[in-house]
Amino acid sequence: MKENVFVVTSGKGGVGKTTTTANLGVALARLGKQVALVDADIGLRNLDLVLGLEKRIVYDVVDLAEGRCQTRQALIKDKRLEGLYLMPAAQTKDKEAVTEAQMERVAERLSQEFDIVLIDCPAGIEHGFRNAIAGADEAIVVTMPEVAAIRDADRILGMLDDRRARLVVNRVRPEMVKSGDMLSVEDVKDILGREILGVVPDDEEIIDTTNRGQPVALDPARRLSGVYTVMARRLLGEAVDMAPVFSDGIWTKLRSLLVGQR
Amino acid sequence: MSNDVRAHEPVEVMQHVADTAAADTGVQETTAAGVSAATGRAIVITSGKGGVGKTTVTANLGTALADAGRKVVVVDADVGLRNLDVVMGLENRVRRHSLDVIEERCTLDEALVRDRARKTLSLLPAAQDREKDDMPLEGMQRLALELRRRFDIVLIDCPAGIEHGFRNAVVGAQEAIIVTTPEVSAVRDADRVAGLLPHDMPVKLIINRIRPHLVKKGTMLTIEDVLDILRLELIGVVPDDKDVIVATNRGAAVVDIAGSQTGAAFRRIAGRLLGEDIPIPVLQDRSPWLQRMISSMRRPRS
Repeated sequence: MKENVFVVTSGKGGVGKTTTTANLGVALARLGKQVALVDADIGLRNLDLVLGLEKRIVYDVVDLAEGRCQTRQALIKDKRLEGLYLMPAAQTKDKEAVTEAQMERVAERLSQEFDIVLIDCPAGIEHGFRNAIAGADEAIVVTMPEVAAIRDADRILGMLDDRRARLVVNRVRPEMVKSGDMLSVEDVKDILGREILGVVPDDEEIIDTTNRGQPVALDPARRLSGVYTVMARRLLGEAVDMAPVFSDGIWTKLRSLLVGQR
Repeated sequence: MSNDVRAHEPVEVMQHVADTAAADTGVQETTAAGVSAATGRAIVITSGKGGVGKTTVTANLGTALADAGRKVVVVDADVGLRNLDVVMGLENRVRRHSLDVIEERCTLDEALVRDRARKTLSLLPAAQDREKDDMPLEGMQRLALELRRRFDIVLIDCPAGIEHGFRNAVVGAQEAIIVTTPEVSAVRDADRVAGLLPHDMPVKLIINRIRPHLVKKGTMLTIEDVLDILRLELIGVVPDDKDVIVATNRGAAVVDIAGSQTGAAFRRIAGRLLGEDIPIPVLQDRSPWLQRMISSMRRPRS
């Protein structure tokens, strides 16, 4: 049995689940892996937009769950990158259109065909959340150094049963941590008591690339691209340290960038 | 899973739920002898996408409206993932919640939490250890009506998504404010939510987290872009500001931070909501690639 299905979840919305799913997926594919990204946010899908694949949707995960198409038909191949596929969510149906058992079967099928399956979970803890986690072996909990996001992450961690869960601390603003206006990554780790998979600085690059449907991880020259590569390698079990990237590279650059804007 | 709503046509279902709830419970908006009329305005703050600022808008708008002399209650409808109490700095005062009231374990007065600084501002917290499906639509509607009897303004902070929690937050409201950010995914979700609200409900739009320098660079949607896609009445534009993060983490209102642009924006929105004529600043033109994106998202409206 492969243990290669990860749900990307958070509790609170808008902390960066979809952005993390897209960029981690791209980074994994760039490392030569076969990757399937599943949008489980039925009715409010966005992973297709973030990947720039919205115009190519024919079938979706609800069609597959209900047997109206084959697995391959519901998967959209990303033409920019070998090995990256999207399974879009349905936009017109409500989340109760799919059952947990159906989602489990979808995850199981993808698990056999791909090296890594990432499931982008909807916000909240309702039916859509239970669907998204049903077929997952492990969880990646995305949070931000902010009280509300951490509280919701804590609540989610209690709902993942015995799944292993690792944290992505997103949108860290180093200058605010320094001035004491933001919790540090260490604080977040201490409060939630879980292992850190990745740390992503807050960067305006994300807004632009997301709006354009060009994930930042596609372009190695982008500031954040390396952050997702490190995250991907850690997910694959490599012992890569996160710290050097921050202290020597992006961290310093980002700080000067932010200070320069004042 | 909820048994009460099978949403194939969500708008009709909402309307149906509203009608049956009123019939079943005998809840009427007219005045009975000895009971004050439900004259308050119940406004749901919603968005579809999470993290666009619903809770921040609810807290700050509530604060600004209380300062404008209104009696205000802010209602957290995010059962299981409540945050309005933290954002308002009232989490240590929470004893009871809305489900306790609905399930008759306490009175409404026992569940309401009075704001520290403002006597005319109250919070009705959500249950944290329960599920959204536990909250009956009828109960929520009755509760909203009772709140409209006691308060001038009832602001309901809706959970993210479009499931049962969303329907619960909307069922007792007569007006809606949709919060979005100038990002393609937030605008898409806002459009979806606008279509799920009852069609006779007046809807206003707040565009949150505008970063003027990004708009100028052409990497962020402009206000005009967002309005072109959504075709909703704009009631305010709120600049992105780290004041909000600082205030939120401290449980303070950004409207209380002297000189904060964001705080000033919320005060103007409160004024507009009360019918004052306060102009909204206009920003610049869009870049060519966004023009293409907008044309592809825009669709004809009747």
